[in-house]
Amino acid sequence: MAQSRLEKIGTIFTRVQGLLRGGAMRSEDKPIWYDVYAAFPPKAEPRFDRPAPEIPVRNIFYAEDVVRAKLHKQNRPQETINLLDHRRTTQSQHFVKIYQDLKSQGALDEQRIYDTALDLLAEQRQQSRLDTAAAEENLPELDAEVKTQLVSDFKEAASNQQITSSTSPAPSKARKDTGVGINIDSLFKD
Amino acid sequence: MLRKSLGNLPRVGQLCGLPRRLQSTQPEQKEPEDIAVIEQRILKHPDYFQVHNLFTVRDLFNARVHYGHKEGSLDDRMRPYLFGSRLGHLIFDLDKTASHLRDALNFAAHIAFRDGIILFFNRNALNAHLVEQKAQEAGEFSHTRFWRGGIFTNANVQFDAVTRLPDLCIFLNTQNNVMAQHTAVRDAAKMAIPTIGIVDTNCNPNLITYPVPGNDDSPAAVELYCDLFKEAILRGKRERRQLLGLPPLDETLPRRSRKPKK
Repeated sequence: MAQSRLEKIGTIFTRVQGLLRGGAMRSEDKPIWYDVYAAFPPKAEPRFDRPAPEIPVRNIFYAEDVVRAKLHKQNRPQETINLLDHRRTTQSQHFVKIYQDLKSQGALDEQRIYDTALDLLAEQRQQSRLDTAAAEENLPELDAEVKTQLVSDFKEAASNQQITSSTSPAPSKARKDTGVGINIDSLFKD
Repeated sequence: MLRKSLGNLPRVGQLCGLPRRLQSTQPEQKEPEDIAVIEQRILKHPDYFQVHNLFTVRDLFNARVHYGHKEGSLDDRMRPYLFGSRLGHLIFDLDKTASHLRDALNFAAHIAFRDGIILFFNRNALNAHLVEQKAQEAGEFSHTRFWRGGIFTNANVQFDAVTRLPDLCIFLNTQNNVMAQHTAVRDAAKMAIPTIGIVDTNCNPNLITYPVPGNDDSPAAVELYCDLFKEAILRGKRERRQLLGLPPLDETLPRRSRKPKK
């Protein structure tokens, strides 16, 4: 295709337009995007030398950032956060909520609100921990059983290993049979 | 309402034309002329393929499109698309992203309607397979590997034949894996091929015809872009086949079955 390859001059549209106007490109040879571009031109002309605008980047801050910063400065956050979990609130979100509730009641000064909010947070976390612990205890004994089984399995495996290592290179088949909970052969049956 | 009546008009013509064509071969002449007229007419509609309803700003937010890189790597030409900086991390203005993305989707749908070849680019190894898969599902092409120079600019020699270049390049990231711009951005501009590109805060949007400011690293975001472009392209293709009276596209077939242009 007859065209200018100087991508730094003008835009793809102006270059093709020039060819069409000058007759170097016949109108039936024009690229299929030409009419679409003419009908829906981009918001900014795609010129190589388009200057960068001098727009300052503003900082994003929220009103509660002050108290959040204070919280994080005085108490190092120690919890692990699952970023995919949108339902659970983090400790600092919880704290900010308590703080704002207290502040909207408006009886105390800033420092007192902060201290009270910290106390309330600790109290509520303690409460929720107790709740979850109680809920876990109420669960069937399955967990404990699994745990003991796992521990006993490890013990069994360790003793088996000791036996096999002490009694010289025993055939590996024997170890597999006496083996731990999982039978590997059954896994690959079909 | 206007759209509906406009859309229905040629279909009625096709339906009437079909039995006549079975009897005599004469009115076949009419069709190529017809599609050119249709192409001109749908350009007058501001959003013929209804790409505005493909996504919402909330979808963009959920796909983490608003996250940019850190302030130090900002390319000054990306400043107008930013919302601000949150503790050193740049955040995109999703309203601007949405309007740019709608322009880009509309353009892609029109190119697909005009039976153009569309080529997807991506140099991020994490998303390479995803992009290839989506491009195949849309019945289009992808290039996610090292770009040998001259694939566009020296195509007739490299492929040893007269080569039809793509009509639209869609860059899902415009950087290659070092800190430089993808060479194909420049090559596409040289060969007068329009480009759509997702530009992150460290990219240069100048040579991209339809830049879309947004996060180009997260798999969630890239998947969203791929799905949107795929759907826009398929809408263009479906509309074309419907207006031409061809059987509907078999979208279960991954391969592109293209007939040579007459």
